[in-house]
Amino acid sequence: MDGLNILYIEDDAHTATQVRDIALSRGDHLHWESDGASGLRKAGQEKFDVIILDRMLGDFDGLKILSRLRESGVDTPVLMLSALGRTSDRAEGLDAGADDYLGKPFEAAELMARVNALHRRASGSVHSAVILYGAFECHLKARTAFRENRHLALSPREFELFHYFMENAGEVVTREMLLRDVWNMSFDPQTNVVDVNIGRLRRKLEDGFATPALETVWGTGFRLLAGN
Amino acid sequence: MSPARSIFSRFVVAAILLATVTVLGLWLVTERTIDAALNESGREAVDVDLAGLADIYASGGEIDLVQRIEDRLALRPADGSAPHYLLMRPDGVRLAGDLEVWPDLDAAISERGTIAIGHRSRAHARSTRLAPDAWLLVAHEVDPATALKGGVRTVFLVGGSILVLVVAMLGKLSADRLKRRIARINRLLSHPDELASMPELPRQGRDEIDELAANSAQAILRIRGLLEAHRDTTDRLAHEIRTPLTHLDARLVKALETRPDEQVTARLTEARGEIRRLVGMLESLLDIAWSKARFSDRSTLEPVDMSALVTNMCELYADSAEDAGLSLEWDVKPGIVMDGEEAQLGRLLANLLDNALKYVPTGGTVRVTLHDGPVLVVADDGPGIAEADRSRIFERFQRGPDAEGGEGRPGAGLGLALASAIAQRHSMVLECLPSETGAMFQLRREAP
Repeated sequence: MDGLNILYIEDDAHTATQVRDIALSRGDHLHWESDGASGLRKAGQEKFDVIILDRMLGDFDGLKILSRLRESGVDTPVLMLSALGRTSDRAEGLDAGADDYLGKPFEAAELMARVNALHRRASGSVHSAVILYGAFECHLKARTAFRENRHLALSPREFELFHYFMENAGEVVTREMLLRDVWNMSFDPQTNVVDVNIGRLRRKLEDGFATPALETVWGTGFRLLAGN
Repeated sequence: MSPARSIFSRFVVAAILLATVTVLGLWLVTERTIDAALNESGREAVDVDLAGLADIYASGGEIDLVQRIEDRLALRPADGSAPHYLLMRPDGVRLAGDLEVWPDLDAAISERGTIAIGHRSRAHARSTRLAPDAWLLVAHEVDPATALKGGVRTVFLVGGSILVLVVAMLGKLSADRLKRRIARINRLLSHPDELASMPELPRQGRDEIDELAANSAQAILRIRGLLEAHRDTTDRLAHEIRTPLTHLDARLVKALETRPDEQVTARLTEARGEIRRLVGMLESLLDIAWSKARFSDRSTLEPVDMSALVTNMCELYADSAEDAGLSLEWDVKPGIVMDGEEAQLGRLLANLLDNALKYVPTGGTVRVTLHDGPVLVVADDGPGIAEADRSRIFERFQRGPDAEGGEGRPGAGLGLALASAIAQRHSMVLECLPSETGAMFQLRREAP
């Protein structure tokens, strides 16, 4: 994926520097605005791939900025990054039009995984009947999975998980993304239930093979490896 | 609300019934009065007729009286109250008149009464003894006053219908107006968020309803103010705690990037884990506070498919249960929907399942049932909860007796407190019920 053009609206210089370092290290271009008014102006002037928006800004509530952006026709995907991480805060942010919500403190990998996922969703990925990645094949119609041409016996839920990883092949997939898109849940139970489900899938993907299939990214989520 | 249950619909129906009963009552009283007046007038006419005939007897004797009786019988009065006469000897010999039989009236005391004329008519009658050998009976048929009564009935029917109609219309107009005013108060109470956007707040005014509306608006504004202050404080608190923790975490990441030795890496990673644990605890505490502050506030609740939510959660936890050597079974009735906040209800069930998975020993079973009500039960066959602890476990920072030291059973003791606060926020009750086989948690609606 080419570098993304990201607008970051954040009044905390320390966090802004941290995020900018992360983005630059990936080859993304990040434009930082330190207050809501400038951020709004910038979002209206220039086309960005993704907007990262702090919720509690000095001059504006992030939710207000979000609603003004949407009212003025800016449909750029917005990731709300906030120190308010309660269940109700997340629901409020998503209801207000945010495409994703991440509480502080965050993992750099998780932040970027979410930014990538938002960009992919917004640009509309093409769905084919068969998804290929490294040694893996995912046949959507037949709902079957293969590694190095060997059939993998997956349960319906495991297939959905595998399919999701294949759609995000090579990218970090967070627990929240899995909960939202595979289990249709808008909250994180904050226990290891997702890890246990992934553990089972991992065993089925790796059983009889020498190389790992799924990598755990500390504090963030998982990444499907090419497996060959 | 259905019209049958509306107090205003009942008010209109009651007004119509009252008007109808009043009109009917007045009509009956009028009929009775007419009857009484006619009877009195009939009796007086009989007395006058009898007195006239007695004078004729006194002045002209029996022959003259017989003649006059026949004259009067020959004339039919215009009002239809036909007269009847009987002049006879005490021994029963009839001298004049159209009646054949002397009725049960004592002539010696000039007794009066009502007698039957033929099979259909009745008459006011009075008898008298003109002389020891002459008894006279005068009777006038009771005037049925059909025309008069018919007129009165028509007047009452038309007038009464108009009156009932007017009462119904006025009642409906008044009821609709009251309904609109009460509906406004109800809307204020059920959608307090709209109060701020109202162009004009309800003011103290003309009557009790205005006063109620104004007081309700003031109370809502006060509560909203408190909620906003609470929200602002907790938001600031979260912000002020999480921001330095974010900075601290970033510094730890920077330190990890310098690739320190294994021991330092482990310590730094552990410190990052502690930061996350702190943040998690802060979120739970704020979630509890926020849920409690919005206790029974239903304004932001939306329909939640509980059957789908519970099934999804059970499917998500099934592998974790199996890994822990437990069996997770669920019996969910399909199509159960309730008003709620889906994420919070999911958190509630997650906390109950986490609790069960934490305390039920290997080989145990956790059963989740959802039935109409909705009633959600999470039961297990683990060690259970002592009776004395059943209410205490919903308090903050309370942990199971086996969790001392926290080895292998992580948690800050906030899970059940948060679950209970979420239940209260949904006007529901989460309780730990006595069970012979282990712990049993039940979520149900509050008793009305």
